[in-house]
Parts: sequence; C-alpha cells; structure tokens
Amino acid sequence: MMATISPIERAVSEPPRIRRLLIGLALVFLTLFLFLPLAAVFYEALRKGLGVYFAAIVDPDALAAIRLTLLCAVIAVPLNLVFGIAAAWAVAKFEFHGKSVLITLIDLPFAVSPVIAGLIYVLLFGAQGWLGPWLAAHDIKILFAVPGIVLATVFVTFPFIARELIPLMQEQGIQEEEAALVLGASGWQTFWRITLPNIKWGLLYGVVLCTARAMGEFGAVSVVSGHIRGATNTLPLQVEILYNEYQFAAAFAVASLLTVLALVMLAVKSLIEWQARQTRRAALAMKGEF
Amino acid sequence: MSIAIRALSKRFGPFTALDNIDLDIQAGELVALLGPSGCGKTTLLRIIAGLENADAGQIQFNGEETAHRPVRERKVGFVFQHYALFQHMTVFENVAFGLRVRPRARRPGEAQIRAKVEELLGLIQLDWLADRYPSQLSGGQRQRIALARALAVEPQVLLLDEPFGALDTKVRKELRRWLRRLHDELHMTSVFVTHDQEEALEVADRIVVMNCGQIEQIGSPQEVYDAPATPFVYQFLGHINLFHGRAHSGWVRLGELRVQTPEYQNAESASATAYVRPHDIDLLREPEDGDTTIAAIVSRVHILGSLVRLELRQQADDELAEVEMTRDRYAADPLQVGDVVFAKPRQLRVFLNDGHSPELPVWLGDGDGI
Repeated sequence: MMATISPIERAVSEPPRIRRLLIGLALVFLTLFLFLPLAAVFYEALRKGLGVYFAAIVDPDALAAIRLTLLCAVIAVPLNLVFGIAAAWAVAKFEFHGKSVLITLIDLPFAVSPVIAGLIYVLLFGAQGWLGPWLAAHDIKILFAVPGIVLATVFVTFPFIARELIPLMQEQGIQEEEAALVLGASGWQTFWRITLPNIKWGLLYGVVLCTARAMGEFGAVSVVSGHIRGATNTLPLQVEILYNEYQFAAAFAVASLLTVLALVMLAVKSLIEWQARQTRRAALAMKGEF
Repeated sequence: MSIAIRALSKRFGPFTALDNIDLDIQAGELVALLGPSGCGKTTLLRIIAGLENADAGQIQFNGEETAHRPVRERKVGFVFQHYALFQHMTVFENVAFGLRVRPRARRPGEAQIRAKVEELLGLIQLDWLADRYPSQLSGGQRQRIALARALAVEPQVLLLDEPFGALDTKVRKELRRWLRRLHDELHMTSVFVTHDQEEALEVADRIVVMNCGQIEQIGSPQEVYDAPATPFVYQFLGHINLFHGRAHSGWVRLGELRVQTPEYQNAESASATAYVRPHDIDLLREPEDGDTTIAAIVSRVHILGSLVRLELRQQADDELAEVEMTRDRYAADPLQVGDVVFAKPRQLRVFLNDGHSPELPVWLGDGDGI
C-alpha cells in the first residue's frame, strides 16, 4: 500500500513548485555567503602565482604563527578534554547542590563576548591589573606572551566538550555503570571500560569542534596577544596584520591555510557524525524491542 | 546465603520509599517482592545490592552486617530491568567482564575465563551467540545474557529487578519456567521484583506483598492467594468482588446476604466490606432460604478459552459482580444474558473498614449450585 503512494502526495509534503523554490533559495544563499567567499580566499591567495603563495607561507613570521596556533590547540584541547569529561561526568551521573550553577558556569564562555574574555585577563594580569605588580616583581610574563594566548584560548573553547557530553551522558543514564560496579569493577575500571567507550563518538566530535575553535579564535587572543610578530601572533592575527599592510596575496595565502584546517575539521566531524549515527542506530534498534 | 533485613527505612525527599521493613530470606530460597509500582520493592532490592543506602536499619548476609561493604564487594548478582548489557562489547565479553575486572591476584587466566564463559553460555543455551553484540539479540536472549553475566562472578545472592517486565507474554512465560528450573539446579538465594502476580505465584517459593513502603504479607503463593492478610492483598492478587455492608454482634449484612462472623462479636453497626473471588461464587436458579443468596441478572457472558466469565447486575442496587466458572460447569446449565440467577458466595472474607482484619476466611459450606 505504502509503496504505491509517491512521496509528493504525503500530507506534510509541499507541491514540487514550492519545493524547487525553497531549495533554490537555500542554494542561492549558500552560494552567495559560503561558496563564493571560500572560492575567493583561494582565488586571491593564488592570484599572483604559486611562488608568491608558498613564499607567504614559509615566511618566518607565518611559520611562527602556525607553530603558535598549533601550540595553543595542543594545550587547550587536552585541558578541555579532561575538564569536559570531569564536568559532564559530575553533571550527568550525580545529584548534588549547585549543579545548575555549574552548568551555567560551563556556558559562560558561550555567553560572554570573546573580547571581554580577553579583557578579563588584561584586568587580571596587566601592568595595572590585580596580579600585574606581583608578576612583574617575579619576572613572569603572561600578558602579551604565549601563556596569555593559551589562557584566552582555553577560556573560549572551554564549553565545547562538556556541552557535547552532558546531554549524551544524561541520556545514557547510569545503568551500565551500576552493572559494572555490581560485577566488581572499580570506579576507574568502570570509567575506562564502560563510560569512555560509550561516549567516544560524542567526545571526538567535541574535540574536533574544540580544536577548530582553538585554531580560529580571534577576539580574545587579539586582546591579550600584543601582536608581536614572530612571537605572539596566531594565524588569525597574522592574517589581520598582513591585510592591514595591504599584502593581500600573503594575507589570503595564510587565510587559505586556516581555511584548509577548517575544512579538514569539517570532514572529520562529518565522518564522526556518520559513525556515531551507525552506533546510535544499533542502540535504538535495541531499545525498539521494549 | 541467608539475608536478614531489620527495621529498614528509606526516604527520597518527602517520599517514604521503605518504612521500617523486616524480612528474613532463607538460604537457597526464591523470593518474590510483589507490589504495585512505587511500593518500594525495587528500592529494597537496590539496597540489598548496595546500589542505594538505607537511611536506617540493617541488612545482614549470613548474620554479618553489610552496611560498610561497597557494592563491588557484596558478591551479589544483579539483573537489571532493561538488562544494562554493555553495548560496545560482544556477548562473550559481557559475560567475561566480571572476571576480567578482578584484581590481578584473583583474576583467572584467559583459558579459564574462556571455559567459564562457555560453560555459562551453554547453561543458558546461547553459546552460538558469543560473538554477537547486544543490539543484535532479541529481548529474551538479552535477558538470559544478563543473567549469565550476573552468574559469572559466582554471586552468593541473585537479585532480579522486574526480570521479565520488558518481554512479550509468550517469551515471559517460557523464561519464567526456565528461571525456576535454573534456580532448582543452582539453589542460589534469589530475590526478584515483580508487579505481575501471576509471575510471583508461578515462580516463587515465598511471596512478599508490598504496598506504600510496607510489607502487607509474607507467605507461600498458596497462603497469600487463599488467605490474604489485608484487603490490599485481596485486591492485588487476583480478581475480586466487593460487597459493602454493616457488621453487628457477630453478623454481617450485605444487602440480601447475611453472614455469620464470630470474630466481629463486639462490632456494633460497623462499616464492613466483603471480598469474594469470582470463582468462589455459585449461581443458583432458585433462591435459598436464610439470606444466603443475592438476586441478579446475567448482563454479559464471555467465553475465555477454558473459562467462562459472567457479568452480573445485582437486582437490589445495580452493582456489577463477576463470576468465573469452568467451561464444563457452564455447559451443564448455559446461562444466557437476561437470565435471573441467585449468586451464592462459597467463600468470602469480611474486613471492617477501620483497618482491623480477622484471622481466617469465613467458609459458607458446600455450594451445590450450578
């Protein structure tokens, strides 16, 4: 019976004319605001030839920016990974006072403008800040140096993994963990053998989002960086400097690097989502029995 | 292993889940905790396992207090309502889990683990599923895997939370018998929670009927069915007809019916309710002398396989009553809708509505009705 009814005739379906119009509108929008700019980045970057393109990338300042960007990601992502799992574990598996406060705090970096996030560190660690004189006296440089940039990145990327894991872990409940405990597993064994495998796709997804944001962050890092070439410039900051100096080809070349990184992350994210869907489908098939 | 529960109480905020529970479970016994949802039966099971803490009271395993033994050291096998199988592990790894997580000193070798798991999968007759994942199994298969996993750690007590609740009727009946056979083979102290009276009556050695965090009655299936201690047990186990009336000086009047109740000798016009099982009623064509029958009209006849259920409308007050009889008995005098009959309870039980209850049911002699 169902097979003889074509999808168009279903109650929730629009007539073909309207559907074509809607799809067309979406395509025009995507082309204008996503595909064209993306193409423009690569077009501008390669307009003066491959020679200029590679020269811009192997420029010592650009290489330093790449190194700093990767360093930030390498520090921020593992920190937030540990924090994210700990926070999600606490929120999803236990009942305690102040739980909603913790959830709100986790969301704070989403709510606050990145520029303000950067300013917080200036107010804390700057020469006129609360800890500024003490830091200066002990010759510790945080602001306008690598530690400040890393701190700002950690702050901004802080909710990504926790936010990804909390709903997932809440949905999974604690039954499998309870089963493991009854069977004699320790808390640590339960985490490694039961909890972690169950959240691995959500966790990877969070890590990818977190990495993408850590490499692309501009606002907060811009406030604390001090823009010292070859020392405290990340890739997004390097793009800005080059652009402001009218070195358009170089600016777009460096921008294309960031774009490639973002595209790689998107591809990884899609792959993870696909994998997670497969696993989820299997899990749903199991629940469907009840 | 025997379990002794003493004065156990548990509250969740303003809700009292368990109120001063005392219960003894003998070694090797199969006990059912039976009650409606929210009666505290699952909470009691989880406290025995160590998955919850009691607010007050004690639980002793073989006379030894367990309060300070964490769940992983209690040596209990727990089968969860929705199985809680580890979804990312094969059936084999699920069953092997309890052995693999043992401290190195007590952990069996790989060959021993394999032998043990294969033995258990053989016991539940699912050895051919060892390499499957839980999502590839049917509900009944998952349930048996969950049981094998619980047995792998050689527990001293087996606790099952609504073990058959999520299965369809046919599989449930099969698994029920299978669990009973398994228990008879292993003789392990077992406690299972259920809200299904048929399940409890069929499987358990003893039934603990619970309601509102308290134990209403403890007894063998026959005891709780034939001699319910409280109105609640009467209503919860099996179908029931209620007749309202008054007790006075050792007699209870229920409409046209008058019943002698010596245990209420001192009652003075006390409000009373009589409980009669549908299969404890005879249907006569003619009234009997001595106020022993109630006039009624047959309003519906349901033929349910081997049983016939008749719905009666009492002539005095239009209240409905239900009567069950065997097909053979019905065939001897096939009553039709609209026939006038006289219902004679063979056995009924009167409770005064102040909560006091007598010791034994009232017998009304042999009914020689239809």
